[in-house]
Amino acid sequence: MNAPDTRLQPMLSIRGLSKTYPGGVRALNNISIDVAAGEFLVILGPSGAGKSTLLRCINRLVDPSEGQVLHNGREITGHRGDLRAIRRQFGMVFQQFNLVKRLSVLTNVLTGRLGYRGMGRSLVYSFPEADKRIAIECLARVNLEQKAFQRADTLSGGEQQRVAIARALAQQPTVILADEPVASLDPKIARQVLGYLREVARELGITVLCNLHQVDYAKEFSERVVGMSRGAVVFEGPSAQLTEDILHRIYYREPGEEAKDEA
Amino acid sequence: MSTAATRSAIDGVMEALAARKRWRFHHIALAGVAVAFLAWCADGVGLRPKELGSALPAIGEYFYRMAPPKWEFAEVLWKPAAETLYIALWGNVIALLIGLPLGVLAASNVTRSPVLRNCAKAILNLLRSISELIWAVFFVAAVGLGPFPGALALGVNFGGILGRLYAEALENIDNGPVEALAATGASRLQIIVYAMLPQALPQFVTYNLYWFEVGVRSATVLGMVGAGGIGFELVTTIRLFEWRETGVVLLLILAMVTLIDLASTWIRARIY
Repeated sequence: MNAPDTRLQPMLSIRGLSKTYPGGVRALNNISIDVAAGEFLVILGPSGAGKSTLLRCINRLVDPSEGQVLHNGREITGHRGDLRAIRRQFGMVFQQFNLVKRLSVLTNVLTGRLGYRGMGRSLVYSFPEADKRIAIECLARVNLEQKAFQRADTLSGGEQQRVAIARALAQQPTVILADEPVASLDPKIARQVLGYLREVARELGITVLCNLHQVDYAKEFSERVVGMSRGAVVFEGPSAQLTEDILHRIYYREPGEEAKDEA
Repeated sequence: MSTAATRSAIDGVMEALAARKRWRFHHIALAGVAVAFLAWCADGVGLRPKELGSALPAIGEYFYRMAPPKWEFAEVLWKPAAETLYIALWGNVIALLIGLPLGVLAASNVTRSPVLRNCAKAILNLLRSISELIWAVFFVAAVGLGPFPGALALGVNFGGILGRLYAEALENIDNGPVEALAATGASRLQIIVYAMLPQALPQFVTYNLYWFEVGVRSATVLGMVGAGGIGFELVTTIRLFEWRETGVVLLLILAMVTLIDLASTWIRARIY
């Protein structure tokens, strides 16, 4: 993470990305977005707009049907390449936290280091001291180092999501992909979690792509908003420009112009 | 959304409902076939309820002869009883060693390759379909009389059963953590170790405890073919018409199974 000002050149460039799932559902339709290094970008849209698919195409949990994703100018779609090396640069945070509930908080954060570790020690739950230090530091960033040895399922929802953020940080990623990270949290805890995400992005220079469906949070936390509807980008700009008209376009767009055949 | 369109949609659902009705007749027909098949099989089994009625007193007669149990005989039984427990314990350890790798390979969410998965399933089926008593006959012939062939027989048969149960436990885990670990760049093997096995572990332990209990019961039978344990004493006393001794053996088996059941309930309540 050497950070000369790369804000002029996009660190993440999504070009003409489309995804059609087997069975014919077209989740993404020709998406193009540029993201600068260290930016906190909110992707706003209703459920089913394709936000989750978009994030999963970036770290290749889903393979796009068409288009490319460039990371620092290097294409990461298409060729099989070293999938693990690609994925460990992208931390991911999920709506349902997706911690391994029966493992300790610390072990969950340590799983963020697995992408760097080979077949040997890691398979018997053994990590180098350096990895343990990284994991504890990441926990401290979300102020949960005191709960390191508790089982993950003894924590509250907000705390579990902070552990999930620590797990993503332990990857020492250049980008964090947050898929509806606060959808199952109450407003107070949601703001706290989004606050942590924004803080790590600012302090560590990590780029954050955050899917949200709540307009309030988008206005409060984002620098820039991409509005999605039915698999397409329908708005791109600062959150201050989110007028009623634009919000209507994002949330209530009828299966209109391009889909007359739907009867 | 015109009313005509709505009406045609309603008609569509009505048609689907009628189609479902036809399916229900189909099911009744199937149930009829099933009952007929059961009746036909009853003939094959030679079900004779009347004779069972007259035989019940005869069975009662056996139990009557077992009283009062000849408690002194228990002294002879301690060693074979302990041996039965050893067989059940080591049978389960062998079953774990066989069942775990095969179960992991047989779980559809763990093993993507259908060839590998079906091979594992086929081996599990083979191990399971041959009963432990038959395995015991094979192993007695191979390694000689005693508890060792008994433990092997239990291990191989239970390995087939446990492997199948392990695979099902793995297939029922929450996929969220699996996706999360894939996103960190973890390898397939790391994902299995960190996201899949921890989630399925409590069920693995439950299955092993239960099959330990089953193993104790099975081990009492293995003695009949010379594979060690208390079964040898059981068969011998029956053959010699020493009913009061038979009573002691049966009570001892009952006591062991009850104790193990209590112990495993206690343990299961403490793993979560």
